[in-house]
Amino acid sequence: MKLQRNISMNSVINLSSTIFLLLFITLGVSAQESSINVQCPKGTGTLIHPGANNPGIKCMHLAAGDGMVTMADNYQNTGAGKPMYVFSFAELPLPGVDGAPTENSGDYPGWVMDQGMLAANAPAPTIAIDEDDELFLSMTNVGMAMRPDLFDPHTIHWHGFAEASALFDGVPDASISINMGATLTYYYQAKDAGTYMYHCHVEAAEHMQMGMLGNLFVRPRQNRCDTINDSSIPGGICPDGHISGVSTYAYNDGDGSTRYDVEYPIQIGSFDPDFHDASFNVQPLPFAGMRDRYFLLNGRGYPDTVNPNALSTVDPLGNTQVSQPISSLISASPGQRILLRISNLSVTQFYTIGTSGLTMNVVGLDARLLRDGAGNNMNYQTNSLTLGGGQSADVIITTPATAGTYFLYTKNLDQLANDAENFGGMMTEIRIN
Amino acid sequence: MTIFKKSISNRKLPDFFSAIVVLVLSVTLLAPATVRAMIIGETGSHFNLTASEGYISIADGGSIYSWGYSNNGTMQLPGPTLIVDQGTTVTITLNNNLPAAAGNTSIVFPGHQVTTSSGVAGQITQEAPVGGSVTYSFVANTPGTYQYHSGTRPDLQIEMGLYGAIIVRPSSPAVGCSVASAYDHPKTCYDREYLYLLSEIDIDIHEAAQQQATGPGPIDVGSGPFHPEYWLLNGRAAPDTMASAGTSLLPNQPYNAMTRMHPGEKILLRVVGAGRDMHPFHTHGNHSQVLARDGRLLLSATDSSQLAGPLLFTIPAAPGGTVDAIFGWTGKDLGWDIYGHKPSDPMEEHEWAPDHGKPIPVELPSLSSMAFGGFYSGSPFLGAMGSLPPGEGGLNPNAGYAYMWHSHTEREMVNNDVFPGGMMTMLIIEAPSVVITE
Ligand SMILES: [Cu+2]
Repeated sequence: MKLQRNISMNSVINLSSTIFLLLFITLGVSAQESSINVQCPKGTGTLIHPGANNPGIKCMHLAAGDGMVTMADNYQNTGAGKPMYVFSFAELPLPGVDGAPTENSGDYPGWVMDQGMLAANAPAPTIAIDEDDELFLSMTNVGMAMRPDLFDPHTIHWHGFAEASALFDGVPDASISINMGATLTYYYQAKDAGTYMYHCHVEAAEHMQMGMLGNLFVRPRQNRCDTINDSSIPGGICPDGHISGVSTYAYNDGDGSTRYDVEYPIQIGSFDPDFHDASFNVQPLPFAGMRDRYFLLNGRGYPDTVNPNALSTVDPLGNTQVSQPISSLISASPGQRILLRISNLSVTQFYTIGTSGLTMNVVGLDARLLRDGAGNNMNYQTNSLTLGGGQSADVIITTPATAGTYFLYTKNLDQLANDAENFGGMMTEIRIN
Repeated sequence: MTIFKKSISNRKLPDFFSAIVVLVLSVTLLAPATVRAMIIGETGSHFNLTASEGYISIADGGSIYSWGYSNNGTMQLPGPTLIVDQGTTVTITLNNNLPAAAGNTSIVFPGHQVTTSSGVAGQITQEAPVGGSVTYSFVANTPGTYQYHSGTRPDLQIEMGLYGAIIVRPSSPAVGCSVASAYDHPKTCYDREYLYLLSEIDIDIHEAAQQQATGPGPIDVGSGPFHPEYWLLNGRAAPDTMASAGTSLLPNQPYNAMTRMHPGEKILLRVVGAGRDMHPFHTHGNHSQVLARDGRLLLSATDSSQLAGPLLFTIPAAPGGTVDAIFGWTGKDLGWDIYGHKPSDPMEEHEWAPDHGKPIPVELPSLSSMAFGGFYSGSPFLGAMGSLPPGEGGLNPNAGYAYMWHSHTEREMVNNDVFPGGMMTMLIIEAPSVVITE
């Protein structure tokens, strides 16, 4: 895949990388004075990466910077998708893990800056943890390699976190954000299961349009009911019909109604290529005129959504980097229950997403089980779900007894498009086999 | 946004907010004196609204030709919030003082059974001709949040600013509420209430109306696609949303949207979708419990003592609709003591006891590694000031916790092409000892 850029930009890019490397060396020096400080309590013996399905102290390290992703069209008949400049996050292994130097080695700060450079993913790495976890979420600002004129700080906003502190809420106006070459460790106690989302809140209209958006969800305590077995805490005992060892519920429902077999985070989003190109080309950014033309699920348009593999993109320095790791292909066996954790982080509009031939059962909204104050189940069945930016829903689909392929797609039919190509966009397949 | 952002990156927010510092610090009360914690508006049963032209200001320096209502006073946007008691027969006389080119005007009151007198027949209600008037009357039967707006050429007249909110208070507050209730139901108790009326401005329509206002009419603004450049909360675009209510700097936009509360209090949000787009209104800090939509309380089908609305972290504001919701915050389950107490220190009121005396589990980066918000006190602890580099902070004199409340369609957080702005305000959770005056 070749990047499309005009001649004059090449010199800017070369200049960019030179400046960036100089900066990186400078930062490397100061970083050794520990401004890259991934805080993760190791004394407890329960250091776990997010994703492990058991509770404890979990740690994660994200690099915030820029990168390139690939859209799903045949861009200007090049035979490849449009390369799209993004800001976002990339996950780095914790110090001393998976080839990362240990934190006290002098190599560590330079290694972090090197690994994080142009490594941004769309969407950002998924944060999946368990209720009762303590999450130490470190974020290192590695800078924007293609925009050395920018010195933007970044933050992480855990969108929807109940009873949030201003300190770890990630709104730069209201708290702290982290400058280039340094690390901020956010601390969260996960006490409420559900589907959330996260994003950078610095210059929100810009950094979010540029792609600093990710899936985030908290699995319920009820998944561990076999071992907790305590009726005095919510989710502490197993619901009727619980099969020992089956540990997949969306919420502490008490009745097994949110049990599922397979789960998929589906993050709705959209990009305005003019905005991204303007950013890449160091041009003024159109805010009021923002018009998204690439309509995405987990950072991809159809048919890339059903590619089961991670997508890679060649970055402007010529390195191939994983750019869009999350497939949205939904697979299940006949009769299984699928949990879709759907969130919308578009900065421009509401989207309606729906199914063909399958019924969506909405069991949760905004990371809360749909129950009324008397405990009645307020779930509802639908074929279309409308979400604005910053809304989420938990949807369970019970698959039919026979194999087949169905679609999950936007009902705003003009958004079944990858820019000028009017087949694609916000759509994926649900394959029952 | 300019190309070279370095010079403004960290300085920008204090500059952006500096205009409001003084205003926030010196809160001026509107006359007549408002009851503590209540939405500002016009109370009573008879209102004399005049529709006329004027200008509203936007923080980017813009001055926008608009139409608005006044109640024996200055044209304002949104129109006066009409606050009435349940059971009252409300009478509203509308006087048409718009330019002749604007033609007739009228008001509709969705959710109410209206009778009219005088005026001239219009398409959907009786209208006030140029220079004339019309009178509407309805009984405010059901408590809740409603809106009123022009029923004549609404595509033009609502866009120009002819809209406002109506609040119907329950004839008697619910049993057990210490301050007030939104409905006659004990699950609707609140300590403070705030209005969030969301609307947009497409400058092309306003400029076309202005150019034709002195002509023979009718005003033709075309029927092209709607492309707003400005997004308003209670008639103001941020940062003016946080300036004091009734400030003389914004004579035609008297209502602010600055929100303040103490830990443990319940605040009532009255969210009104007054424009033509949907907006996802995101309340940082916590979920809100939806009480009602369009002035109709949502109760459990099997137990009317219980609510049925969802808990939302983003409230969708739909055109023509209203949502009432309760927001609260205590700092529960953070895993550290928000006051920075030692275990031996006394507890604050509403403090979350399991976290008492627990330190923050992480070290904060060095000052030189961080950028600071104007609403950051320099300390992670509620009510405490910390040291900040010169020129940082300063907008949060009581060191409250600050949360951004905004449209989560982030492109609406701009004033034309300038970020931040638009449909955005702040919630300040003040330490228990801080007196909140509104
Ligand atoms: Cu950012």
